[in-house]
Amino acid sequence: MDQSTIVLLLLPILFIQLGLMIFALVDLIKNPNPNGPKWMWAVLIVVVNIIGPILYLVIGRRNY
Amino acid sequence: MNQFGVLFRKEWRENLRNYKIFWIPIVFILFGILEPVTNYFLPQLLDSLGNLPEGAVIELPVPQPEEILQAVLGQYQLIGMAILILAYMGSIAGERKSGTATLLYVRPLSFRDYFLSKWLMAGITGVMSVWLGLLAAYYYIFLLFEQVEIISFLQFAGTYSVWILLVITIVLAASAAMPNAGMAAAVSLALVFFMQIADSLLGAYWTFSPMKIPAYAAQWLYGKPDMSDYWWTLALAIAFILALLFFGIWMAKRKASTAKV
Repeated sequence: MDQSTIVLLLLPILFIQLGLMIFALVDLIKNPNPNGPKWMWAVLIVVVNIIGPILYLVIGRRNY
Repeated sequence: MNQFGVLFRKEWRENLRNYKIFWIPIVFILFGILEPVTNYFLPQLLDSLGNLPEGAVIELPVPQPEEILQAVLGQYQLIGMAILILAYMGSIAGERKSGTATLLYVRPLSFRDYFLSKWLMAGITGVMSVWLGLLAAYYYIFLLFEQVEIISFLQFAGTYSVWILLVITIVLAASAAMPNAGMAAAVSLALVFFMQIADSLLGAYWTFSPMKIPAYAAQWLYGKPDMSDYWWTLALAIAFILALLFFGIWMAKRKASTAKV
């Protein structure tokens, strides 16, 4: 397989990761009452790959 | 419109507004894609990150496509189940706490419809996410390695869907029975993970238990599981689901008075 096809294959992963991160960040900024300090979630979302945004979405959002 | 329809529309809208219906499938798809890709690039990854001495040669066998699909299943069993449990832990317990429940409970509410509407919505989200994720994995395995036979894939994913429904039912029943969302999550995580460990340690003594569904699902990829064991396992799992549904409805009704005003 040549280089460009491989890059095309990897693009969705990048998009999903970035998308999740941006989505979680925007939601965090708009969230008036997250479960825990806001700055901590911001750091987690940006620094911890994949798991950070997911953790925010399941635990930090208080979506129940 | 009947009560179930109304309640289901409420669930649908709630899942849409807290974006669960979007991000849960996305996460499953991400983990589905990551597994084949890391397997494909493993030699290069070891080369650049592995800290190997100069000139070390490692011969890695090319993994079979079925093995990768099974590895995706392993990811789902760990991370996927935790996500599903944490996402739905509060569906009833949290509603009681936040006050939404009081708005419902003051009306002549059928707890059967109330519980089943939540179960159906969570079940649809869970099964759809897993199918989308597995299909993404299937496509990537097809591109990077070889094709897995479509029939065995369908049997594999179909069997696994029963397991997802079982997990969803456990979470919702726990959410109905427990005083808060955290307890519900703890109970369901304990049930799902410890039972699996127990089953893998002692499971050699019996051939059918609902905890063996993922294992039987994976066996479809390599051929056929023992059919009578397989059907007994499925029947037992469905019996468990039904029992938990009744338990959940009963608990939702009994604990309705614990709702905070």
